[in-house]
Amino acid sequence: MATSLIPTDIPMASPDTGPVLEVRDLVKNLGGRTILNGISFQVLRGETLIIMGGSGCGKSTLLRHLIGSLKPDAGSIRIFGEETTDIDERKMDCIRGRFGVLFQSGALLQSLTVGENVALPIQEHSRVDDTIVDLVIKMKLEMVGLTGFEDLKPAEISGGMKKRVALARALALDPELLFSDEPTSGLDPVMTAVVDKLTQDLTRKLGMTAVVVTHDMTSAFRIATRMIMLGTGPLQGKIIAEGTPQQIRSNPDPMLQQFIKGEADGPIPLRLSKGDYLKRLLGEAHP
Amino acid sequence: MKGYLQLNVEIFYWLLIGPWKKQPLKLSHAFTQMLRIGVDALPMAALTAFSIGLTIGMQGAHELQRMGATMYVPGMVSISLLRELAPLLIAIIVIGRSGSAITAELGTMKVAEEIEALGAMAVNPIRFLIVPRFVAMMIMLPVLTVFGNYIGIVGGWTICHFALDMHTATFVMRTIEAAKLDDLYSGLTKSVVFAWLVVTIACHAGLKVEGGAEGVGMATTHSVVYSMLAILVANAVLTACFFFF
Repeated sequence: MATSLIPTDIPMASPDTGPVLEVRDLVKNLGGRTILNGISFQVLRGETLIIMGGSGCGKSTLLRHLIGSLKPDAGSIRIFGEETTDIDERKMDCIRGRFGVLFQSGALLQSLTVGENVALPIQEHSRVDDTIVDLVIKMKLEMVGLTGFEDLKPAEISGGMKKRVALARALALDPELLFSDEPTSGLDPVMTAVVDKLTQDLTRKLGMTAVVVTHDMTSAFRIATRMIMLGTGPLQGKIIAEGTPQQIRSNPDPMLQQFIKGEADGPIPLRLSKGDYLKRLLGEAHP
Repeated sequence: MKGYLQLNVEIFYWLLIGPWKKQPLKLSHAFTQMLRIGVDALPMAALTAFSIGLTIGMQGAHELQRMGATMYVPGMVSISLLRELAPLLIAIIVIGRSGSAITAELGTMKVAEEIEALGAMAVNPIRFLIVPRFVAMMIMLPVLTVFGNYIGIVGGWTICHFALDMHTATFVMRTIEAAKLDDLYSGLTKSVVFAWLVVTIACHAGLKVEGGAEGVGMATTHSVVYSMLAILVANAVLTACFFFF
């Protein structure tokens, strides 16, 4: 696994000395709403950064900016030292060849088998022999506990298994940086622990960097070296807390504490207050 | 319209320039699409062409019999099929069968983030998904048209042989006398233009899908309607070109 499949059509950049990922003052408005409002953070080599926050706070939108699927209205994103917000697609593809992406839905190609999905990035970016590709498929599927599933179509496996195949595909080229959107959703507790252990091994032993969007606090505290939380409501699109797992646990911010403890009552505005509810329900008739 | 033109430019870029940049078309993907678009459509194309050949034969025989000119039925069947009906009707079959399927498949892939995932893996979706479908359609629609021509003429022969007691050799002679190679070429030219219109409209509609199942349904409807309109207009323009020049 330590031997990287070096893509033949993606030139390797010069050795990076700065942060692997650096985001500065990122702003995005969609449909008249500010989704990201001045987001800034950086990730160093070997770190695992957890991005957390309530539903609709902009986590997945932020991830889409990082992988180059969306362009920000303002701000800067530097990956491996290269500015990606105004880069042309050819150069962006060079950078994409050095990172892997695990989508929230898995995003496996339904027309291909599990094995063909994992093989896709290898076949597209390297000129290795088919026997080596088969070997790598077996290795990657073994890593996520799916040995023997190569010939099944995505429609024939469960949601959790699809997620694991997608993780195997994201790791197919031994990326230097892994972006994961909800990597453990739909997985049973044992498989969640296996995926967490895999992320830890890749980051701590092999120096891979990981940026993980998750709601799963157990998993987040297990793998994180640093965490950021995005706000909702009036703090929509802003980072409301940042630090190591210990700093996050001891942060007195009630919104943060409500989120990490998973409590129904607290300052995170999910439901209307009784007065607002009656006013909205009864309109002018409300005394 | 700008997006549609850009798609055409990108298709030709990946088709012509891509191989020189060591990113050629995946032949296995193109063959798979050729099977879906062409081979799987053979029974439907055959039934359509045979029915049309049979119908033209009957309608022609009905009128020409009164003037004692049934010897012109083979020419009428072959010329109308070669120049007009086979390219047009086979294209309509392919729009309903393959054009709609291409739009629905690409649209579903877009909604399921599969196309975005390809981009994130530095795999160009136009090269990976669209170019194989384009090549397959450009080859298989003319092939289906030639196939339809022959089956349609067999339909005409069925009427001439069994209803008008025309000998097979007479039918073949009359067909060869009436139909020129130019008739075949004009029909094939039309089928190439139709293939280009059908596949690019279908792919463009699929790649533009927004939203969920509703968006896929709307895109598929648009794809079929615009493809039909486009080939009917193109047919009139091409026929005028062949007529005047």
